[in-house]
Amino acid sequence: MNIWIKNILRFLIVMCLQILLINNLQLWGLCSPCFYLLFLFALPPTLPRWAELIIGALTGLIIDIFTNTLGVNMAACILVSYLRPIFIKTMIQDNDRLTDTLNLKTVTPSVYIRLITILIAIHHFVLFNLEAFSLSNWWLTLIHIVLSSVATLLLILLADILVD
Amino acid sequence: MKSLLQFLSKYSILLMFIALEVLSLILVTTQNQYQRSAFFSSANSISGWTYSIYSNISSYIGLKKENQVLQEENTLLKNQLTMLENQNEALREGLAADYTYADHDYNFISARVINASVNKNHNYLTLNKGKRDGVRVNMGVVNSDGVVGIVCSVGERFSTVIPAINTDAAISCKVKNSNNMGFLKWDGRDYRYCQLKDMAKHIELNVGDTVLTSGVSSIFPSNIMVGTIKEINTAESDAYHQIVVTLSTNYNQLGYVNIVSNNTQIEQLAQEHEYMD
Repeated sequence: MNIWIKNILRFLIVMCLQILLINNLQLWGLCSPCFYLLFLFALPPTLPRWAELIIGALTGLIIDIFTNTLGVNMAACILVSYLRPIFIKTMIQDNDRLTDTLNLKTVTPSVYIRLITILIAIHHFVLFNLEAFSLSNWWLTLIHIVLSSVATLLLILLADILVD
Repeated sequence: MKSLLQFLSKYSILLMFIALEVLSLILVTTQNQYQRSAFFSSANSISGWTYSIYSNISSYIGLKKENQVLQEENTLLKNQLTMLENQNEALREGLAADYTYADHDYNFISARVINASVNKNHNYLTLNKGKRDGVRVNMGVVNSDGVVGIVCSVGERFSTVIPAINTDAAISCKVKNSNNMGFLKWDGRDYRYCQLKDMAKHIELNVGDTVLTSGVSSIFPSNIMVGTIKEINTAESDAYHQIVVTLSTNYNQLGYVNIVSNNTQIEQLAQEHEYMD
């Protein structure tokens, strides 16, 4: 399949799942996974960096419009899009970088898990702190970050295993 | 000039990253909760449409229970209506018949909640009624259990609501059978409980007392159920009671709600606009 169609399809499926299904999961109000990060992680590693930044910004903005959190997801996604190529460069071998997507099957699993764990942690840290916008309930925010990060990681790995 | 261009091309990605981050942070900090443009919220037509399709499908699941609740409310209202009619009759006889009510005149617009969250600090609801149906910013929203929230942005066909469980919301309240007023605030923790602030320490309160809307703000009619007092933790040094209120509305299972349209408030706002122009 054409790499464009593949990514657009992935975008639509991931966004629908996030907005209609995952955002409605309310586990004690403390766990809100961001499954849509899968789309940003799976973008082709060869994508120009400016394009990746713009795609990240738009993805975050769309999520924000649906969840009434203007700018919050956008800021976190831009950061992920900025950091992903840097991490890819430092963590992944040259011959792996030439594939047209990044997932559990195209790069060494341990490297891939380490890469997305760091990105998810950074993303969630920015996201939930911006969302709370205060330090008054910082421990609550921290629990929120940790639980959601774990849930996001598991969901993304599950999706990678289930879908080819 | 040449070195400036070189600098720009060398750091173009970093500069672009910083510019985008600044843009998103501006969006985060300048969004005015009450006057926000409907375009950037879930009241815009695309997201509203998506949510309403989804909610059309998922609402069938809870239909039976919702029906039962509506049925019960219907009966209750009918009973109240007959009681009030009788009372009215008796009063009219006593008052020489040409008494007009000075009280606010409220209408209700029925709407369905098509999207809701309870797990953020700033939770919002999306309703399937908008400007077309007469919804305006700052109208109150109630359901059969009690107070739900206040309309904050209105699109053509959809609107968003700040519920009581949003840390920015403040709803004027009183405790039943006393005229002491306070306001309801949420601390961002549990969507079942809110805090009642501004109740001076000398006021006598008991656990289990009913909290109602005060009606002073004219957003809500007075005496609409808010919740019951769950606990009162007042330290020796506090000037005000620390009250936790169990909300009567279950925000996790919102179905149908009523938007309160206050006719005198609309007139009042229209007049204020005339003076401003």
